[in-house]
Amino acid sequence: MAKAFNLLTSDLDVSSESDLSVSSRASNRSLRVAEKERRKSEAEDPFLLALKYFSEVKAGTPWMGNDVLERNLVLVERMGLTRGLPPEVISTMLDYAMSLRMGAPCVRVLKFLIPATVVPQEAIVRAVAWLCVGKIAISTQVLFLKWVLTFFDMIDSKDHLRSIYGFIFNFVTEEHLCPYICHLLYLLTRKDMLHQRSFIFSLSPQGRQPFLLHLLSLYKVFCPELVTTALPSKLRGGFKNHVTPWKGVLNAIQKRNTGQVTSDIRLTIGVKDGSNSRKRKCNHLQLPSLNSAVQRNLSSTNSRKVFPLEQLHSFPELLDNLHRIELPSQMGSLLGSSLALCYLDYVQDDSAFLRLNFWLGHALHEGKKASPYAQNCVLPVSTCQNCSPLCLFYAYVLSRAPQEGFFSTESFLYKFLNVWDGSLLRPQILGLLSHIPVVPSSCIHQLLFEPLMQLFFSSTLFFKCSVIECLNDMLLKWLTWHSVYSVEDGLDISLNSHTPMNMTLSGFMDSVMELVLFVGRLATVGLQLEGCSSLLLSFVLDFYETVCDMFLKFELPLVVMPPVGVFYPALFATDPVSVDRLCFIMCRYKQNLTAAKFQQQEHVFHISSQTYREFNRYQLLMVSTLWNSRLFQPGMAVEVDHNLLALSKVPEPSASFTLIRHPAFVGYALDFHLKAGKHWEWYLEFLFSHGYLGLQQFVQSNINWHPGSGTKSQGQGDGQPTNG
Amino acid sequence: MAERSSTMKTPLNKALAQRRSKRRYSRRSCGEGTYLGYTSGRQTVLKIPTSRKKPKSRDITNQVDPDQVALLVKKEWHLSYVTPLYQFRYTMLKTYSKELSAFLVSEKQQGQTIETGQELCFKVNISVVLGLAETNQDAETIYIQILSKQVFAAKDEAQKVVWSGLLTCINGDVDYLRSLPPEFVSLPLLCTSGPESLSALVKSWLKKTFDCCFGPICITSTNLQWLAALWTGCHPTKNIQYLKLAWTIPTQPPMDVTYKVNPQDVWKLWDSARLDDGAEDSINIEEVNSFIRGLQTHFFRHFRLDLSAGSLMRVSTALGSAHHSGKIKITSPDYMTTVLQLLTECALLKMPI
Repeated sequence: MAKAFNLLTSDLDVSSESDLSVSSRASNRSLRVAEKERRKSEAEDPFLLALKYFSEVKAGTPWMGNDVLERNLVLVERMGLTRGLPPEVISTMLDYAMSLRMGAPCVRVLKFLIPATVVPQEAIVRAVAWLCVGKIAISTQVLFLKWVLTFFDMIDSKDHLRSIYGFIFNFVTEEHLCPYICHLLYLLTRKDMLHQRSFIFSLSPQGRQPFLLHLLSLYKVFCPELVTTALPSKLRGGFKNHVTPWKGVLNAIQKRNTGQVTSDIRLTIGVKDGSNSRKRKCNHLQLPSLNSAVQRNLSSTNSRKVFPLEQLHSFPELLDNLHRIELPSQMGSLLGSSLALCYLDYVQDDSAFLRLNFWLGHALHEGKKASPYAQNCVLPVSTCQNCSPLCLFYAYVLSRAPQEGFFSTESFLYKFLNVWDGSLLRPQILGLLSHIPVVPSSCIHQLLFEPLMQLFFSSTLFFKCSVIECLNDMLLKWLTWHSVYSVEDGLDISLNSHTPMNMTLSGFMDSVMELVLFVGRLATVGLQLEGCSSLLLSFVLDFYETVCDMFLKFELPLVVMPPVGVFYPALFATDPVSVDRLCFIMCRYKQNLTAAKFQQQEHVFHISSQTYREFNRYQLLMVSTLWNSRLFQPGMAVEVDHNLLALSKVPEPSASFTLIRHPAFVGYALDFHLKAGKHWEWYLEFLFSHGYLGLQQFVQSNINWHPGSGTKSQGQGDGQPTNG
Repeated sequence: MAERSSTMKTPLNKALAQRRSKRRYSRRSCGEGTYLGYTSGRQTVLKIPTSRKKPKSRDITNQVDPDQVALLVKKEWHLSYVTPLYQFRYTMLKTYSKELSAFLVSEKQQGQTIETGQELCFKVNISVVLGLAETNQDAETIYIQILSKQVFAAKDEAQKVVWSGLLTCINGDVDYLRSLPPEFVSLPLLCTSGPESLSALVKSWLKKTFDCCFGPICITSTNLQWLAALWTGCHPTKNIQYLKLAWTIPTQPPMDVTYKVNPQDVWKLWDSARLDDGAEDSINIEEVNSFIRGLQTHFFRHFRLDLSAGSLMRVSTALGSAHHSGKIKITSPDYMTTVLQLLTECALLKMPI
């Protein structure tokens, strides 16, 4: 009874004994402390306590309204259903249940007895012994037998079970138990066991149920002389595969337990074998097996040898047979093999990509429906056995990341965006989205912007940030492609000759323009919705850091200024970092525009004078706000009525956003004032020393500032490129 | 960047940069431009239509073999969508039939360790239903029939139809169909009738052979409302006998409301819902909405129960019936194409790409 518990606690005992021997010279007091500690740690683990309860509880304890029992049961139940139970616990609990010490909970206990590793056979032997006592209700007995059959493969060894073969056999006469007992016996029977038996004959009058016949046929195979009845040569059906409540949980637990060890997600995707094709329910969750297409149209005269992909095992083989490999009949199966994916990258076959697109889109769609709770799955793949298409998808994406092949399979994403809830697999979907190739400006709205806009405005701040980040990545990738393909003339043709659609430079620029304007709109409204959150602003400024350098970094003759909805929140932000970054961005704009203006005279491209004007206006405003205290003055971008300003009772409103009074820097100004007094240039040095390099750059490049002069009134906007 | 602008000043590099840019922009002028990784994906985004053609009674028996029409009507079909079939050939239907029947037999035998006494044999007929397609882009409808027979059955023993299926495309979105490469045949709507196990087997064979995917179609409330309106509109030419609508109201426990209306009354309501300015032969979504609203208001006046809070689950008339879960029954061949067109639309909208 208490054996199982002893097993568990024996380690503790041994250790405490050794403690004793080691510390024999120590005082009694420390011994007592050690003992206390031990008790305490024991007492602290509620699971151990629960087990202790179950192994020690007296027979006849009432179970109705027994809170202690309920609490302990729930504890073990949760453990059983989530992680599986260790062998000793199985043993304790089975013994507790089958002995019916407290009557009713037996069925409940059986239901959560999921072994994590193995089932000790002694536990089953003891349970069979309880079965022989005959107090247990028939339905419970059936449940127990089902349990044994379900976990038969997990019983650590079967020799003791075989030694009570006769006892088990006795239950054959029990009408309800018979099918299960026959199955169990069928599994246990060994040839050498039968020679000692003499009871075989007593079976024959029992009717000719299939399970009995099966057992008999096995006996007849082993010892033909023992079975005298004639058996039909063809038997119908096997032992029924009983529906048991444990299988799903067991699968989940096993998957998790093994998954933790081998969570090499890259290619753990199982290729479906034929045997479980009947499990229709999750058929779509599995990869089809790699079968070569049936060559129907191949006439016999066509002697070109084809090399089926399923025979491909190594990369050299792939190289040797590159010209005669045939694609499989189901493109989804390619995902199971990285070699096959390499091949797909090589062939660049449009219809193959389209087939793969259909498959991926389908997997994503159906997977989404199949597992609504997958939303919570933050993917260690091992935990989400029910959302395997998603995991698979994820695995696919991971395996794709370094290769370019994925770029050709984006079209399912466009459709998926329309039904996406914005939370399912968010990092992966956004990651994929950032990889899509340039979308023509004619359909970019419909395919990309409309669904994204809806998601953006109806989601949380974090989603907004990740969307902006994703669009920034997308823009970066587009620009990189542009800079690579437009310079290396030789490369683009070989790589992309299959693409039906070649984009002209102006088409590309239109798309980039659309994207930048779109993000401008998103950011404007997003910042308003989120109360100019610094977090979102930081992502938006990231984006504009990419935008402002398009000309110099990526040789794209396009300069787009941020909208006012981004500029003002950044300029009047309460955190100094945003202001600093805005300064940096404006400096980059200046360099880009100056360079563009310089080159524009020699080349055909043209940057609109509107852009220059816009830049100049921003630049002027920044200088007069941060430096010259001329905010709100007539002729500036921000004009506010004097009376209105007077109503606000702010002294010197026009100077309220200078570097000293700007809400972002006022903390520094105070700090500086306490330390060093009122020297303007020292204050600036002080700010720069805090790492505001963007600000430093801005001040140095735009303001005639002579450190010696000691006054700030000399500051003057300068060097603003004007459109010539 | 700084390096670049400084090197720009050295004449050699400048010349190089110039040459580069020249090449680039000259190419633009030739109309070639930058190549960017791009696939022939489906760039068309399908939209839910806001207006439809008024159903015309079309005696399809003129174009379609009446025997085949008889096979299509009066069955309850389960609907699913099918992604385009890869390398499907209309010339090879015989071969497909043989392959499918062999596949069915082998699948049925799989997992049976010991042979059972009676052996099943399947005969599969795959045929084209010519004349059902409405436009040139529509692929011709395929009808699949599975008959079972005993191996040693007597000659006169009739073969029993155990399963039938229909792959069809009526008035599919032209842009979408055009955008598909020629290796694909789009038959987006699969209707099946027969045991689920056979449906699954047929689907898995189609999956293997034509690399397509299947998914269930639910007929949404809006589409059911469309059907109700379309069927009601047929009343003058073909007696619909009744209009029966079933709603489920999300109360605790859920309440089912069945609402049956007299054909004359419902026709009058529909007629009054029709807008004058609308074109005579097309129906607007606003008209459908006001028609349904009319029905709901009437119900509210009598029972104080707002049906718009619930969802429409089922619509039926003498012309046919449709259930939210993707089951449909067409009783009259006259308006079959209208219904199939609506379902084709649903299927295309459901498609993953």
